[in-house]
Amino acid sequence: MAETLLDRPAWYVLGPLIGLVVVGLLATINERFGVLGGYSNLVERVTGRSPTVGWKGWLLFGVLGGALLFRLLAGAPTVADGYGWLTRTFTGSGEIVVGLLLLVAGALIGFGAKTAGGCTSGNGLGACSAGSTAGFVATATFMGTAIAATFVLQALT
Amino acid sequence: MSPVRVAAAAFGVAFGFLISWGQFTDPDRIRDMLLLEDPYLYLMMFSAIAVAFGGTWLLRRTRARALLTGEPLSLDRSKPERRHVVGAALFGLGWAISDSCPAPVAGQLAQGVFWSLFTIAGIVLGIVVFLRRQERATRRAAEEAQTPDSPVASVATG
Repeated sequence: MAETLLDRPAWYVLGPLIGLVVVGLLATINERFGVLGGYSNLVERVTGRSPTVGWKGWLLFGVLGGALLFRLLAGAPTVADGYGWLTRTFTGSGEIVVGLLLLVAGALIGFGAKTAGGCTSGNGLGACSAGSTAGFVATATFMGTAIAATFVLQALT
Repeated sequence: MSPVRVAAAAFGVAFGFLISWGQFTDPDRIRDMLLLEDPYLYLMMFSAIAVAFGGTWLLRRTRARALLTGEPLSLDRSKPERRHVVGAALFGLGWAISDSCPAPVAGQLAQGVFWSLFTIAGIVLGIVVFLRRQERATRRAAEEAQTPDSPVASVATG
């Protein structure tokens, strides 16, 4: 079991399973899949903007629980030590830059996805599978921007 | 807890498990994808959309109702606006820096990745800034509507 989980499954196994999760949520509770809404729901609950933790918050709790379950069954982490290009570029006392950059990146993710009405799962999976033109435009934009920005970051570092 | 919340949590568990298995929690995997060195994530995402699109089409064609709520299925068919492009561009920039996004960062937290705390703090900050800006804009619009000289009020009063 653990050995199977430590290797990625074939994309043609994983992709359709994730697709079934997206359509399953729609078929069961009539809602568009999206994880950012869970963060927003919890922020709104904590700041008194929302009276309850709704389905979106519970979806996020589920994501966290599923990832924990995976980690337990896999028996070992599947994420390397450090944090990718950031901890390879900024070492020693420079690691404070890693924290700052991740904070800024997170803020761009939170603000940007709220503005666009969804993140990779909300626009990329949920809205695209519903045939939403806005979802296709948002997905093409964040994919294109992320690819271009990554090439720029690689050239700079 | 209502059945709707239980169902949402169950689908969340499945999603969190699957994205962890696909190693979307590893920033190096995402970076390889964004540098166009690894097609795995693109193939996975396109096949996921294809299956979900096909399933959604089938549900609409059979006029299915949601299992738990009994409602006719409603689909997000928004037309593209400026906010979709601007917001998605900001999101893409954050994605490129952190090599992560809202679901995988929760997976990182579950795997004990210390750095994920900074990204999560940033996401919360970004959401709070968005909500405050939205509330300010709503307040301003309401104030303008109440001002007698404002064009909105003039139109409203004919």
